[in-house]
Amino acid sequence: MDGFLSVFTIELLNSGIRLATPVLLAALGGTICNKSGVLNMALEAKMLMGAFVGIVAAYYLNNSYLGLLAAMLAGGLMGSIFAFLYHRYNINLAILATSFNLLVLELTVYMMRVMFGNVGTWSDPSIERLPDIAIPVIKDIPFIGRIFSGYNIVVYASWAFVIVLYVVLYKTKFGRHIRAVGENIESAETVGINAKLIQSLALFLSGAFAGLGGAFLSIGHLKLFTRNMSNGRGWTGLSAALFGGNHPITTFFASIFFGYTEAFAVRVQNVTELSPQLVEVLPHLATLLILVLVAFRDKIRVSLARRKFRENLKKAVASQEEG
Amino acid sequence: MKNKKLRRIFDAFLVPVLAIISGLIVMAVMIRISGAPIIESYQVLLEKSFGCEKIGFNCPLISTLERATPIILTGLSATVAFQSGMFSIGQEGQFLMGSVMAAWLGYAIQLPFGLHQLVIIAASMAAGAAYGYIPGLLKVKLKVNELLSTIMLNLVAIQIFIYLLEYPLRADRTEVAHSHIIEPTAILPTFFRGAKFGWGFVIAILAVIGVYLYLWKTKSGYEMRMAGQASRFALFGGIPSDKAAIRAMIISGALSGLAGAVEVLGVHRRIMGGFATGIGFDGLTAAILGQRNPFGALIVAILFAGIKLGSQLGLQLKFGIPRELGGTITGFIVFFVAARKFYENNIERVREWFDKRRAAKLEEEVN
Repeated sequence: MDGFLSVFTIELLNSGIRLATPVLLAALGGTICNKSGVLNMALEAKMLMGAFVGIVAAYYLNNSYLGLLAAMLAGGLMGSIFAFLYHRYNINLAILATSFNLLVLELTVYMMRVMFGNVGTWSDPSIERLPDIAIPVIKDIPFIGRIFSGYNIVVYASWAFVIVLYVVLYKTKFGRHIRAVGENIESAETVGINAKLIQSLALFLSGAFAGLGGAFLSIGHLKLFTRNMSNGRGWTGLSAALFGGNHPITTFFASIFFGYTEAFAVRVQNVTELSPQLVEVLPHLATLLILVLVAFRDKIRVSLARRKFRENLKKAVASQEEG
Repeated sequence: MKNKKLRRIFDAFLVPVLAIISGLIVMAVMIRISGAPIIESYQVLLEKSFGCEKIGFNCPLISTLERATPIILTGLSATVAFQSGMFSIGQEGQFLMGSVMAAWLGYAIQLPFGLHQLVIIAASMAAGAAYGYIPGLLKVKLKVNELLSTIMLNLVAIQIFIYLLEYPLRADRTEVAHSHIIEPTAILPTFFRGAKFGWGFVIAILAVIGVYLYLWKTKSGYEMRMAGQASRFALFGGIPSDKAAIRAMIISGALSGLAGAVEVLGVHRRIMGGFATGIGFDGLTAAILGQRNPFGALIVAILFAGIKLGSQLGLQLKFGIPRELGGTITGFIVFFVAARKFYENNIERVREWFDKRRAAKLEEEVN
């Protein structure tokens, strides 16, 4: 019992937040896309591309912050290509996304080996890991300071993006247009909204978020690039967005949940004798479970709406008969 | 009449062929990036994938067919799922489930030659089918997106596979974990000495024909295709599209499980670390590029196996080009197939231009 309880430490709290960050960024990318009516199943590819471009740019430009920027641009560019092909040639989204995912998985390793020799994992001592930043006032508060302070800029940025995205989606004209396009694209177009432009912008932003999430993995969390580095986090992010009902705030908590599942798995591996596979499978099982829960919730919601509609109909009929 | 049929076949081939040509052009760029000579690289690639000096001695073609065998089966698996409207990419997980089952029953039970293989193949297919049933059920009952659920099930399957390999099935404490070698009675016989090419390939070909006959010549297969093409229409026609989708996922899983059994019984004869090398994803791409047709999947599987083998044995060894080139090119080819409208629009333009010219000529002659 003592061994099990030793899992729960303040480091667990910290690593949970760190591990939630890439998932959260992918989930925000998923949210904005889902809101505009495009299910973005290429988040995984954009994330992996961001991880690769991020560390390569950090190496050549000698600046990890420029690496982040490059990763966001790379992800955004992929989003734009995606949008262009989708709108111009009306491509099946699932096939297009699958081709992106397969292509980036192999292309990144190919480029890594061409550029840096035949290695399985690449890193260079000259690359700087993003420095941790202590927030002036908060860091001095005893417990809270330990939890909320001392991360690198991407973590804080991801929190800021949650709020920005919430404000943009629900308080601005642009956000109203995004939601309108996602609700019903034809009616949005009839009132004069440029739906294609809106969806393209959403895909660009979504790619940029996912790319940043990838760069967090390669230059923020670790300091290396390896094959399939994102390891399903893009998909987990998409699931988090669905779990959070495509709302930035709830999506934030869903991502935190996934981050803690992973942190817990890592921690359990360190302190117990359980086989690593049984523990590593936890985040994936959690994602599956969440997907099923989301489906149940939607099903119940639909049946409730139906029942309400029927009752209203009955009432209306009854009142008409009386009158 | 005959002309029309020819035209249709020509049309079906046109986009995939153009996509492959585009992929080979991109490949030239990729080779250039790595600094190797382009023309020689193509020669080496061809030689090391589809060349054949002497069977049993130096014959990459046989190795390519051997490599293609499980990809044909996972390609069929994806084909069946796509035909029913399920975009399942769970072939990798189902393949691993089938492999584990085959590796375990290969040494754990004693049966006479012939029966042993049959029992193992049946069990592997059942294991794959069970793993395919889960996303099918989730999709039909709860509308869980099958792409998401199969991706997650793949990741789960990889961990289950490694766990079973590392603990219950592990033969000894060597550096790389591997299971016991299967009994001689369980081995699928090979045709030539020195190559693992054998009955597995025959099974794959039979499966191609079987899937074709099932999808296009039986009522159940017709229902499945209708459910995939137009679920509304199928519903009005009294076809239970939910049942058809679940049936498709079970068949799809069984085919991937079969691929696992064939790979274990015919080639590796056990499972070991690094066993999963993306055979499920290769099958997926074969199905997409093969236009959801069993024979298309067969051709593409052989082509992809060749490209991969050629870049591994030829380009990597000779010019030091990373072997991921093969995977990158297949990724590009699938991307180009996805962009099929681009080709179709341009083909249409070229045709219109020809038609116009012909009309102008006719007019001239009349005048």
